[in-house]
Amino acid sequence: MAGIQLERLTKVFGATRAVDGIDLTIPDGEFVVLVGPSGCGKTTTLNMIAGLEAPTAGDIWIGAARVTDWEPGERSLGMVFQSLALFPHMTVFENIAFPLRIKRVAAEEIARRVRTVSDTVHVGHLLGKRPATLSGGEAQRVALARTLVVQPTVFLMDEPLSSLDAKLRVEMRTELKRLHAALRSTFVYVTHDQAEAMTMADRIVVMHQGQIQQVGRPLEIYGDPANRFVAGFFGVPAMNFVEGELRPETNGARFVAQALGATLPGHSIVAGPASLGIRPEHVRLADGRESWPATVSLIEPLGDETLVFLDYGGPASLVAKVDAEEKLAVGDRRSFTLRLDRVLLFDGTTGGRIMG
Amino acid sequence: MRRRGRWLFPVVRHALLLAWTAVTLFPIYWMLMTSFKHAGEWVTWPPRWFPHEPTLVNYVKVLTPGTSTFELGRQTLKILKPIGDSLIVSGFGALLAVVLGSALAYSWARFGTGGRSYPYNILSIRMVPPIVIAVPFVVYFVTLRLLDTYTGLILVYVATCLPYVIWMMLAFVEEVPVELERAARLMGASRFRVLRSVVLPLTASGLVVTFLFVFILNWSELLLAMTLTNTEVSTIPIQLNKFQSANEGRDYGPQAAIGTIATLPVIVLGFVIQKHLLRGFSFGLLRK
Repeated sequence: MAGIQLERLTKVFGATRAVDGIDLTIPDGEFVVLVGPSGCGKTTTLNMIAGLEAPTAGDIWIGAARVTDWEPGERSLGMVFQSLALFPHMTVFENIAFPLRIKRVAAEEIARRVRTVSDTVHVGHLLGKRPATLSGGEAQRVALARTLVVQPTVFLMDEPLSSLDAKLRVEMRTELKRLHAALRSTFVYVTHDQAEAMTMADRIVVMHQGQIQQVGRPLEIYGDPANRFVAGFFGVPAMNFVEGELRPETNGARFVAQALGATLPGHSIVAGPASLGIRPEHVRLADGRESWPATVSLIEPLGDETLVFLDYGGPASLVAKVDAEEKLAVGDRRSFTLRLDRVLLFDGTTGGRIMG
Repeated sequence: MRRRGRWLFPVVRHALLLAWTAVTLFPIYWMLMTSFKHAGEWVTWPPRWFPHEPTLVNYVKVLTPGTSTFELGRQTLKILKPIGDSLIVSGFGALLAVVLGSALAYSWARFGTGGRSYPYNILSIRMVPPIVIAVPFVVYFVTLRLLDTYTGLILVYVATCLPYVIWMMLAFVEEVPVELERAARLMGASRFRVLRSVVLPLTASGLVVTFLFVFILNWSELLLAMTLTNTEVSTIPIQLNKFQSANEGRDYGPQAAIGTIATLPVIVLGFVIQKHLLRGFSFGLLRK
């Protein structure tokens, strides 16, 4: 069992700072998901933890040991690659046995452990096959078995589910979570899929342009984002943003934008350009103390809920998530309100969160 | 018009291809037939398309030990020693080139050894006509006492084969996903173990194809062999070439027999590796 600590970790490729001095502490046994758009540095970070890339600066600790200069094989890690990296010239049995053979485990012991682990992930019937003949899900399980067989203290996973179809991906998510619950090992999981991050993580690390934007529990990240990037990255459909200006008022502040103005009580804020963020589920079709008229321009039923695009006169439509029972038609004139307690404000230039 | 053109074009095309095939294959056919003819049938008018009394006497003559025999004032060259010599220099030349070249190809593909343009620089060696390097080699080899030795010719063959080996092996090495090697490294495999357990098995067919390809090149190489050897080492192309001289000039039967023997391995190996050659030489065309 081991935790991981990254100190001022930096990786520079030519002129790009792929990872820009990140600090991160991952406690033993935690399921941490590194998430961000492609090119944000999450895979490079994972590769540095694995030892596949040498950091330009900074340190990596696994457990009590500083492993920055250690060979990948010395770090007692298990890694599942995006491509799964099954050896095509070996049978499933030999693939799973490979790490044990390197550690010179006795033949009977290898046979026993391969059998045990392949039963755990339900690939016992595939041991004689070659990777090329496996289905996507089977190959996924074999890759997992090969990682599990050496009982590593830390699991690294680089978008392991991205090659699976949608249904299988959801199933494997659940299975990986169960596995983590059973093993209580440290999991570091890289993905660009915010839904994967939300569903699987104990803690999410959001990365963008080589830097950590926010670290927190899934609901913290969703409900209390540190900046506009994080707010926009999580949630489907994405958060609505309205560009405008903040003006201080006697009892708080007022947000003014094209065709939309909202009084935000209790805010004591510096004036200046800002954007208002509101999640679709916090836009209500109702009349209120402060409500605005709009035309329904598009309706997307999801089954349980319906997405409504509202043209209120601003530069872009506002998306509202409403009950599926709501009677609506394109062209309807409706009023909408915002749940003011859930409105988030971001600095118009830096994108940083403006706290009330 | 269109309807007629539809069947006319393939017919014309196939007729042309057949005619061209006949033209290119005719000398080989003639050589094969001559090798089974008695001396009296070598040059007759009208020509005999098939030997009237097929015989193996030409093969027996050239396949007996020794370098040459005189019979009725005519010298017949033997082929056993040249076969041995050719096997030695072609085989060792190809083997060494494959060992060195594939190591280089791997090193460049994975670590960029020698810089971005290294393989192109090496390829440029092949753009120099061989005769240009042959003469300086004579000068070096006199000093190094490598003239007319197996070692000397093998070294030269390694040098001329390396560009081919590097470029062919690059294509095969790049087909091995880096993640396979990374996975093995993470499991604790040493770099050497990764080579042995992952890279070698996955490039084995490429290594064999590359070896056979450069072996064939060496097997039929004449110019460098002729320049750098004298009497001690004599490969098949050199021996064949000696039939051009006045002494041995009109010994067509044995010459055809030697020619047939020399061609056989090239044809057989060519068939064996032709599918893989396409893959090896399509580097950069199909991928990326």
